Amino acid sequence: MLRTSTTRNVRRIARSFATVVDTAGVKVAAIDQNQPTSSVTLFVKAGSRFEPKEGVANALKNFAFKSTTERSAIGTVRESELYGGQLSSTLGREHLALTAEFLRGDAAYFVDVLTSFVTSANFTRHEFEEYVTPLISSDSAAVASNPAVRAVDAAHYLAFRSGLGSSLFAPEHNSITVNDVKSFAATAFNKSNIAVVGTGIDQATLSDLVQKAFAKAKAASAATSPASKYFGGETRLTGHGGPQTAFIGFGTTGSSSAELATLAAHLSPTPSVKWSKGISPLSAIPEGTSVTPIHLTYSDATLFGLLVQGPTVEGVKAAGTTAVSALKAAAQSIKAEDLTSAKAKAKFAAASAVDTREGLVAALGSKIFGENVSTLEATLSSLDSVDAAAFSKAASALISAKPTYVTIGEAHLPFADELGL
Amino acid sequence: MFGPLGLSLAPYVNTSKTLSRWVAPVATWYANAAGYRKYGFKYDDLLVEENPEVQRALTRLTPAESYDRAYRLKRASQASVLHTPLPKDQWTKPEEDVRYLAPHVENVVKEEEERKAWDNLVVVRK
Repeated sequence: MLRTSTTRNVRRIARSFATVVDTAGVKVAAIDQNQPTSSVTLFVKAGSRFEPKEGVANALKNFAFKSTTERSAIGTVRESELYGGQLSSTLGREHLALTAEFLRGDAAYFVDVLTSFVTSANFTRHEFEEYVTPLISSDSAAVASNPAVRAVDAAHYLAFRSGLGSSLFAPEHNSITVNDVKSFAATAFNKSNIAVVGTGIDQATLSDLVQKAFAKAKAASAATSPASKYFGGETRLTGHGGPQTAFIGFGTTGSSSAELATLAAHLSPTPSVKWSKGISPLSAIPEGTSVTPIHLTYSDATLFGLLVQGPTVEGVKAAGTTAVSALKAAAQSIKAEDLTSAKAKAKFAAASAVDTREGLVAALGSKIFGENVSTLEATLSSLDSVDAAAFSKAASALISAKPTYVTIGEAHLPFADELGL
Repeated sequence: MFGPLGLSLAPYVNTSKTLSRWVAPVATWYANAAGYRKYGFKYDDLLVEENPEVQRALTRLTPAESYDRAYRLKRASQASVLHTPLPKDQWTKPEEDVRYLAPHVENVVKEEEERKAWDNLVVVRK
């Protein structure tokens, strides 16, 4: 009874997934679930992977919504305030996402704000120096005091070196000029690099607006980057406050696999019931420490890892040893009931991710440039078809590669070999 | 109203060929007679800078422009101390006498006006 109703709900979500339509050379997808608000996200293939110089992608992200030939920076902010909308720009390793969230009916204005940045931004030198440079430095400063983000960033660098290894943040002392940003934008902002995802707006309306906005935009070849290659390695960084951190990671190339998603769910120590320790193999870690599975999928690579954090070096060492032995045990074999619960957990995580607007937009955005838009149904059925042998095979293939190991904090944090890697 | 940032008929004069043919020699004579070129100044160096708009505009000069400006000011102060104009080869040539600062000041003023307009906006429901 329960199972059938879940399946029915899942079907309904899957059916309402958008189809991608090519509008004036720009890919457009929209989902309308009759929400009271709408959002439009412009995905540009201008992530840090494609940047020509360190930190330029971050600079471009912070340049979003500054003056264009149509309206000034203050005009954008004030007019958006009057409409009650919110503008944001987020940078990923592959895409730059420009998002507007607004009340239904204001789409014409907000789509124009988003597209005018892409088609006619001014990139003036004084705006770069007065507004953008402080934002770049504050991004770098924020990450410097956040060991979790810093560890994952450093892990990407070790794992993939160039391409996906490029940091999302600018170096503390950088030599980025407005001309770097301008030339990066000139190559990145062309129609074949852009996809538009809308929620709470119907496909026809969005297509119309996009077509109007990009009528005169130039088309050029899509951005390409050399295929990712996994390297791995070890690095130890000093922390600037925050908990003691160790990141134990492994990477693979190729498209994402359901087995690794199941592995992440299997290792996740987040209990299903409040105030309990859960039954994950990582539940036995010392009090106060935490282990978070990180499973990041990109178009041609995956980084899988365990982020170990704790207030003391001893705690991190004990938790890290437990984490590594859990990973190795999973590579040996997995009990049938553990696999069943891990699959259920992974399916729930995948399904509840598309429940939120951010999750839905992110899921669509990562798939939209690759021609096939994967449905939730397909994701769930691929998770369903994971069996114990395939699971252990994927896990052992993963950990047979050279590990990516990052520590941030005190010098006495364990080395990779001390954890049994 | 007067001075480098005041009202100017120059754009109108420039649009008319006949008018500029008559006015240009007078303007050149006036600029030379004003004497600032003899001290190595550009016209925009004479802008009154003790106000927020020009101060903000000064931050928008390129490093090379602001270095050159500081150099001209120092050289002219020295000439003033010596009570004599610069040697003739250091006088500002007419083609070097460009408005390097005024466009920035105009932009700053425009931005301030726009900010004021947004601050005092009355929203009308359609």
